[in-house]
Amino acid sequence: MMNALSIEHVSKSYVLEGASRPVLKDVNFQVRHNEIVAIVGASGCGKSTLLRLIVGLDDVYRGSIIRGGPDGSASAKVGMVFQDHRLYPWLTVEGNIDLAFDNTNLSASARRQRVRYYLELVGLGDYARAYPRQLSGGMAQRAAIARALAQEPDILLMDEPFGALDSILRMRLQDELLSIWERNRVSIVIVTHDVEEALYLADRVLVMEPNPGRIRDVFEVGLPRPRDRGGFGLSDLKKRCLSTLV
Amino acid sequence: MATFGAEDEFSVAQAAPNVRFAKVKSLVGAGLLVLGLPLALLTLWWAASINGLVSPQVLPQPDWVVHTFLDLLASGDILTAAAVSFRRIADGFLIGATLGFFFGLLIGKSTTADAYLGPTFRALAAVPSLGWLPILILLLGIEESLKIVILAKACFVPMAISTAEGARNIPAGLTEVAQVLGLRKRTRFLKLTIPAMAPFIASGVRLSLSQAFISLIVVEMLAGTDGLGYMMVWGRTLFQLDIVIVGMIVVGVVGFVLDILLKRAESLIIKGSGDG
Amino acid sequence: MAERLLRTLFPRGAVVPMTAAAIWWLASSTGLLSGPIAVSPLQVIQTPFLDASGRELWAALLASMMRVFAGGLLGGVAGLILGYVAGMYRAAGLGLSPTIHTVRQVALLAWIPLLTAWFGNGEGTKLVFTALSTFFPLFLATEQGIRQVPKPLVEVAQTLALRPTTRILRLYLPAALPNICVGLQIAALSAWIGTIGAEYAIGNGRGLGSYVASARDQFRMDIVIVGVFALAAGGVLLAAAIRLASLKLSPWNREI
Repeated sequence: MMNALSIEHVSKSYVLEGASRPVLKDVNFQVRHNEIVAIVGASGCGKSTLLRLIVGLDDVYRGSIIRGGPDGSASAKVGMVFQDHRLYPWLTVEGNIDLAFDNTNLSASARRQRVRYYLELVGLGDYARAYPRQLSGGMAQRAAIARALAQEPDILLMDEPFGALDSILRMRLQDELLSIWERNRVSIVIVTHDVEEALYLADRVLVMEPNPGRIRDVFEVGLPRPRDRGGFGLSDLKKRCLSTLV
Repeated sequence: MATFGAEDEFSVAQAAPNVRFAKVKSLVGAGLLVLGLPLALLTLWWAASINGLVSPQVLPQPDWVVHTFLDLLASGDILTAAAVSFRRIADGFLIGATLGFFFGLLIGKSTTADAYLGPTFRALAAVPSLGWLPILILLLGIEESLKIVILAKACFVPMAISTAEGARNIPAGLTEVAQVLGLRKRTRFLKLTIPAMAPFIASGVRLSLSQAFISLIVVEMLAGTDGLGYMMVWGRTLFQLDIVIVGMIVVGVVGFVLDILLKRAESLIIKGSGDG
Repeated sequence: MAERLLRTLFPRGAVVPMTAAAIWWLASSTGLLSGPIAVSPLQVIQTPFLDASGRELWAALLASMMRVFAGGLLGGVAGLILGYVAGMYRAAGLGLSPTIHTVRQVALLAWIPLLTAWFGNGEGTKLVFTALSTFFPLFLATEQGIRQVPKPLVEVAQTLALRPTTRILRLYLPAALPNICVGLQIAALSAWIGTIGAEYAIGNGRGLGSYVASARDQFRMDIVIVGVFALAAGGVLLAAAIRLASLKLSPWNREI
């Protein structure tokens, strides 16, 4: 399978007061292996709905969603990070990450090893036994990312993962995400309303527009990483992006 | 803005009747589920009692229960018992809730009073009506006074607690305004204290009437000579379970209706007091 | 200085009860009281230890506690399981919940005549009654608790593809725990008062309720007072114990 993810002619509408309201209309795109794709767009353009369809939280749609594994198999594991960390408050950070191994046949010690690995990966090595309420917003979100990564998904979906954090923290976590991605290759589809974030992180940026939700434009970023946030390449792309959005 | 294409218009026309049918279907389905268990139990009851599997003194036939209910209703027995019971609750409520209101006001507004009286109150409140019963029986016998005292206590405690809560929770900001405006005591009481406490008082009334009903059943069953609670004991003594079952249903229905009315009244008062 | 000493020896809360006790003692020792209430506070304190009938308090307490435990466990587990099913599955909820809530409207004590007709005047009725008194609060609390599990966390379980057992043990039960603990407190108190009420109403056998009932029949006010005190104290201790257990069960809620 060439692509990790293949979205073809996906449409979705729901019925409200007897009328059919379209949420997504004829969405088409592919995501290659180990590629980072960002989706930007105003509220109501269906980008979150699209993610929910891909991860399977919703399965009512027209069209086809093909999730391809790296070995050419047709079913890939999809992980998801939400905007709110959604850590289980009664489990420690360790316990939360361990949930990702629920469906595996690993021995207890193997699980412990892996949990430790992912803890260190997101920089929470000292907080294994902490409860979510003892963590700051950024730390909790990192824990949520660790939990999703621990599933070892082929595709990682992120729905405005840094939206609830302040801009300085956001920039730091973006860098951390990139370094994690370098060490732990996985295809990422990240939804964000922040165009700069999209351009900083992604190989390709899909611009969506609402009513009904569809892809308006696709930008190849093509800049080598690490990227200069204030650099000319990014700001030029940003101008072009914003002009299609507005 | 959204513009519907031709195919969208088609789906609009299609959607409406499907939605309505689906709604009706799910309603019917839900109705069947809800009635499933009670109907099954009723059928079992009927079958067991008709076949003589169990003696009628243990399980009377459902239709007898209905007959008995209608008989008791017609003869006025149920209404008389209900009247007696409600009269008792009213008397007990009047005494207990009023005393409870003033007591709650006292310990709510004065920390000194709370320090002296609070612990004793809480200790006595921890004794349920069932506990007071034997003590009061030895002191008062099983006259009407026993029942009124128990009901008064049942109304006193929740009313006192809620009133105290209300008195403690008058917004400090509004009290300061009253001071700055130099309001007279009377105005302050009528225009600040009472309205601010209204939701708590309403809650207290609801809780004390609910408690009163439960205590009524307790006292009428264990030390009674008349009333709704006694009806079941009476039926049991005669080994007429149909009377017992009628009594249980009446008690259940009254309790339910009372609960709904009280909750409705309470939410009306809370809304009316303009909480915000 | 003296005032400080007085304050610590006699905290303000104790003033009223101590004054009342003193007045009682005076009244009883000067023969002011007559009839059934002619007991002195000292007599009441001695009764459970020195009086022949009074000493039966301890066996009675044990019997009642065992009943509360056995019947309470029965009804509680039933309430937990059915409440879980009713909260998790909409169809089961519709099938069970309305009926159970309707039956719940009947005041507990009202079941006694029916139960004695069905199960006699012995252990059976008392156990069934205790089970009933714990069933309803736990059913209600569990049903509510499960229904209120936050949807976002359920979605995480879906994205992580958690197994059903893991979902029950790691998501639904912990999330419903606060509600269930409140239900447990109500159930425990309900069972305690209910058992003793049933014993009192039925009158025979061993238990705190029958202890008080026979004392009442024999006009022994001192034993009645002892029994009622044990009733109240037992309820308070039980509630406190459950509260403590609830805190222990949810360490993630504590301030660390």
